This record gives sequence, structure tokens and C-alpha cells, in this order.
Amino acid sequence: MMFEHCIRCNICTENCPVFRVNKKFPGPKQAGPDAQRFRMDREESVDSWVELCLQCKRCEVSCPYGVNVSEIILKAQIKYRQEHKKPLTSFIFANTYYMGLINSQFAPLVNRVGQTGAGKTVAHAIGISTKLPLPQYHVLTLSRSRSKVGKGERKVVFFYGCYLNFNRPDLGRTIRDMLARMGIEVVLPNQVCCGLPALGNGDIDTARRFATKNATILSGYIDRGYSVVYACTSCGLALTRDYPGILDVPNGKKVAENTYNVHEYILKLMEEGYLEPEFGQVNMKIAYHIPCHLKAIGIGYPAARLFSMIPGLEYHVLDDNCCGLAGSYGFKTKNEETATELGSIASASILSLEPDALVTDCGACKMQLGHLTGLKTLDPAEIISASLK
Amino acid sequence: MKVDGYDAVIIGGGISGLMASIWLATKGRHVAVVSKGDPMCCLSTGCIDVLGHTDSPLKDIRKLPSSHPYRMIGQDTIKEALAFFKEVMEGIGLHYTGDPSRNAEILTPVGTTKTTCLVPSTMRIMSNLEDEYLHVVSFKGLKDFYPSYIISRNKNANFSIFDMGVYNTMGLAHAFEEKAFLGRFIRRIRELEISDARIAVPAVLGLRSPERIIEEIRLETEKDIFEIPTLPPSIPGLRLFRGLKQALLEKGGQIYWGKEIASVEKTGKKVEAITLAGEGKPTRVHGKTFLLSTGSFISGGLYATRESKAYETVFDLPVYMPDKRHKWFNDDFFKTGHPIERAGILVRESFRPTDNDIDNLFVSGSILAFSEIMKYQCGHGLAISTGVAAAKQMDGFLK
Repeated sequence: MMFEHCIRCNICTENCPVFRVNKKFPGPKQAGPDAQRFRMDREESVDSWVELCLQCKRCEVSCPYGVNVSEIILKAQIKYRQEHKKPLTSFIFANTYYMGLINSQFAPLVNRVGQTGAGKTVAHAIGISTKLPLPQYHVLTLSRSRSKVGKGERKVVFFYGCYLNFNRPDLGRTIRDMLARMGIEVVLPNQVCCGLPALGNGDIDTARRFATKNATILSGYIDRGYSVVYACTSCGLALTRDYPGILDVPNGKKVAENTYNVHEYILKLMEEGYLEPEFGQVNMKIAYHIPCHLKAIGIGYPAARLFSMIPGLEYHVLDDNCCGLAGSYGFKTKNEETATELGSIASASILSLEPDALVTDCGACKMQLGHLTGLKTLDPAEIISASLK
Repeated sequence: MKVDGYDAVIIGGGISGLMASIWLATKGRHVAVVSKGDPMCCLSTGCIDVLGHTDSPLKDIRKLPSSHPYRMIGQDTIKEALAFFKEVMEGIGLHYTGDPSRNAEILTPVGTTKTTCLVPSTMRIMSNLEDEYLHVVSFKGLKDFYPSYIISRNKNANFSIFDMGVYNTMGLAHAFEEKAFLGRFIRRIRELEISDARIAVPAVLGLRSPERIIEEIRLETEKDIFEIPTLPPSIPGLRLFRGLKQALLEKGGQIYWGKEIASVEKTGKKVEAITLAGEGKPTRVHGKTFLLSTGSFISGGLYATRESKAYETVFDLPVYMPDKRHKWFNDDFFKTGHPIERAGILVRESFRPTDNDIDNLFVSGSILAFSEIMKYQCGHGLAISTGVAAAKQMDGFLK
């Protein structure tokens, strides 16, 4: 839907996390449909505040008229970035994939330098926030782990994304093995970044390059009867929405039509009668923080549906708050305050439940909220995997 | 473990759909709500109008035309539904005052009163506005809230404007949740040494825990303080929506956000599933019963063409239309009771649409024909009552 469909009801404003805490951001209605009337392709952008939007998509999800509010803002962000000098941080965060490739080679060294005073000073000097501990890298990345496990009629390609690959390969292996234990063949072919970080940093060309490469690889597998599964909900949003949408890459639609959230896929096989997993007792009270992008994908909360089948598990679903980190957004010093403030709103909701652990799908949410709440932080797959008999 | 379809799929995440789904979830049913966007109640005052054009809503329901959906339910079910609503809201820490047997008056930002029935406990039911010794405290830069309107209608009212460094309702509601900000506000109130009996503020006293915030202000200032609902963005409306939604999530309900329905699957006399649109793979939501609570024209449940035709947007059910297009509105726009308000879906006693052979489809809320929610001022009350009544029918169907 176009910006003309906006009736200015302000429901998006009610849902915007940034508008609540940052006076400089006029809110999605003004930054999106309202300002769009004044934006011209041949005129230079003047709305620098457009970069304050963290692309959580809450405006778009909440819009009763289907206006593509966040996409309007995203396009304005890309245009603004193309016309203005790129700060080093935008370059770095658009290319987190290459950072990951290099950093994981020298993981022990990089991890240590990141914690030193000197390392932090350098980070700060180029505009990287050090409020959160920087993500840790691993030499044994997922891409260097076993690339085929499990046997079964149903076959999936695991699109794991940068966070699981470089920062949490252990979790990636847990998810891979969980699927294999259920009787699903899992392959982990070579793949690159989904492209979302580049898109979020205004670099649509890099995003498209990544997406084209992935779509070619995934499409080859889809032709041979594989489905694609993802665990990172932001990768998932890119694959299912941006590949055929704003990035419009060859085979994008095919990829989107064959891609599932890992829990959604399990539920699908259960509905089809292919899987009849037995869930054992998990005696725990968890707060399940829904990442903004999971909400935006529009598939409900499949992991929560699986949680409801686990005996002994007390779970509470929280879907009103953005963690504030939003990938690389909160790692930039200029956004540090907004990110921390949003993180503390989300943390307060979580902590008020007094849970044993915080559970969330997204890597950024895990880093931010794990740090701010001090709670044990798990992925939904870790709960399901632990419960699986 | 096997997975089957949901017991009930509720289309439309407004008050009616949410109340129906909460009622069903409380009965142990597996429910899913499908909502293409946030509902209109987010923009409301958060108050529940049951029947605003009379003094005694419950009693006067029998005076409504027999075609009105309220008449299909009857007093007892309406009373029960409203009590259930109060109970659900209490469960998530938002208390409502008021009694469905008589209407109440609350203060509006323009200094007039609004007739309503159930009122959030953060607001105040008043007997006579002009007798109130009020001190209105507003915030600098806040749009659409001007204490002068209230002062001009009440000679006993005073006002103050605080510059708290936050200039919109959303920002203020967030700031009030913070200890330091609340402390600063309390200090400012104390410094004023207000002699008026009560303090009135625009409804921005927190999004998550307004009752705790009000209690703290009352304790610290020893002043009675209450909220006046504002224009959108409306914090009390958002509290109402989020409260109901959270109650549903706590009872294990699923919600599919932000997607329109692309297609409907039917076999024989049954709806099997609905499919949600997306750029890529469509999401199929399959269930045993379905509730249509998509709202009227404004919410997108109904759609009218230039040729005087109206469509129901999900199942293409037949829509009752009052007349030709040029007769949809009264000559005086501000006179309520425009004929177009009667448009909607005709249902039987079982809340199933007439002129239709589908067995497992039910309808509730403002999409019902002859609701005339503007004329009778019964929006939220009708949504709650018909939602619960339809849910009971669905529960019966599932047995």
C-alpha cells in the first residue's frame, strides 16, 4: 500500500519504540507517509533524523490499513545514505559478514583485544558503542562444522546466518542436531550474510549482492526437494520478505515460498503427521521475549505453540517491546542512549515476571537483554531440544 | 504429540475478537487470533460505552429495535460478559469502575462530559462538573490538550503547565514509568501547594502500571488525582488493547499479526482454513470454528463501492445495506443515526450469518447489521457482549 492510504490514525505512533524515548525522532507517521509527500527523487534528502528509525517494523505490523510505513522510511534511509558521506560504522556494520570471516580466524586475539581498554578506545573513536560486551568470535564456526547430518524423507537447508555462524556456533549445532534427531536431513551449505545488516545501514547494493548469492545457492537446493529453515528471525524476515520485495533478486520469490522458521517447520511436519515428537518434562519458568522481526514475519509465535506442549514448562509471552539493539543500531555510539533506554523498558517487563531464564530467538535481543537483565538467556530451540525425548 | 488445527480461529484482533478468544481460551480451547493491524480501540478513551443514549443501559436494552444485536443476547448475558471483561482486566492489573445498570459521566479534554459506563479506575466518575474544585495539570508542548477549555466551562477550576522536557503522550507515558521522572512530577505538585480538591491530568500516567503510579502520587501528595482521556495517540486505549492481548497470550492463545487474509478454504458446509498473504509463502491457519470480528467500514471488515454495493472483505458474505448511496447519510452530518450505520452482516440467534450455508462460521462486533453503534453509543459494550455470546455458541458447536 502507498503512503496515500494513511488515514493518520496514529496507531503506528503508539507502537514506535524510538518515538517513546527519543525526542529527535518525529515518529513513523511523520517520518513515513507524512514526510513522503515532500520527498522528491531529484532533490537531496534533508531529513537526517530518518536514520533514527531502527527498522523494527512495528509501525507496519500495527497499521490497520496496510501502509508500508517502515519500507517508506527504509527507502528514505537508503537515499539519505547514498547522498551523504558514509560513516565508518555504517561500512563496518553493512559488512559484518566479512568482519566475522576475519575475526573468527583470529578469534582468541580479537576477543581479548575487544575487552581491553585500548580496544574499547579504538571502538569508541570510530563510533562503536562499548556499553554492551562485544560479541565473541569462535574459530570453529558453523561453516567449518559438519555440513550434513541426519537422515530422512524430509530435507532442509539450514540458513543459519552470521550470528550463529561466527558468535554462537554451539547453538547452531544444537539446532542442527535437534532437527536431525527428529528424523530430518539437515544440510549446511556455504552461504553468506542474509543482507539485512547492509540494508539497515543504507547499502542496498551490498545487500543485493549477498542476497543474490544466497538465493542462487538456496534455489539449487529447493529444486532438489529441500526446504529452507532459519532460526534467526531477522534473517528470516530478509529471506521471506526482502528477497522478493525491496531487494528483488532472481529466485527471490522461490526462496521466500520455501522458507520456514525452524519451529514453524516442526509444527508443519507435526500437522502433516510426519513427526510425532514426545516432549519430556522441563521444570522451568521462562519469559519468552518475541523479537520484533518474528512478529513482523506474520507466522504467529510457533515456538510458543511448541512450548505449550512441554510438561512442566511455565512460559510467558512478551511481544510489546523492542530490545533496542536492533542488530547494529545500538552498537553505534550515536544510538547508545536510545538503545539502552528501550532495552531497560523490555528488561523491566521481563524481570517483573521473575523468570528462571529469558528466552528469545534473535541474536541481538539475546545480547542486549541477556546483559541488561543478567538472566540466563536461551534460544527457544534449546528448550525444545532439552525436552525432546 | 500431534498437532491439529485450532479449536477456534478469530479473525480480527479488536475488543470483540479478543474477548471471544479469551473466553474460549479460559474454557481450555486452543485459539488463534488473526489481525491485519492493531484495532481501533487503541484510539479510544479506554472507557466501555454500553448504551450511551440512555441513563440505565441494561434496563433499556429491551427498548432497542428488535433487530439490534443486543436484543439477541439479552440482559443476563450482557451483564455476564461485562463482568467477565472486568475480571479479565483485573487479572492484568487494570481495574474498571462503574456499573452496567446505570451510566456515568467523565470529564473530556474540552471541558464537557462524556457519558459512558465502565471507566478505568485511573479516571473519575463525576456527578456535577461545575461543582468540582479542580486543578488541571498539563504538560508543555502537549498537542490537543488545552486546559483553558476546561477552565472556560468550570469557574472553580485552575490550571498549571509543567515543562517536564517530554512533549508527547507516548513519551510522557514512558517517562512516568521511571522513578526519577515520577519523583520530579511529585515534587512539582508539592511545590504548587494546590488548594483545590482534586488534580486532573491528561491520561499519560504510565503505559504498563498506571494504577501503581497514581497510587504513589496520591500517597506522596495527599491529593486525589485522576486522568482525562486524550485524543490519539490514546494511552488508555492502548492499555485496554494491550491488556486484553496480554490476557490472551497468558492463556496460551496464538496471535498472527500484520497480515491480510488472502484466501479461504472451504469443504462443503465448513470453513477449513484461512491463508495469510505475504511476499513469499502464505501462512495457513486451520481451525474447527471461525469467528468474523473484523469491524465495520473503518476497520476494514466492510468495503463500499461507488455503485452502492458493499462487500464483506474476508468471506464475501452478503451484506445488508440500508438504501442507495445518496441515502446513506442524513442531511445534517452531526445528527447521529445515519442509515449507513445499519449496514452489516445479518445473523441468526446462533450468531451464524443468515443466507449462508456455512456451519462453523460465527460473527460478532460492529460488523453485525443494525448495530448502529454511533446512534446508541454502544461500541465497546456491543463488542464485548456479542464477542462473549458468539464464543459461547462456538464452544457449544465444538462440544
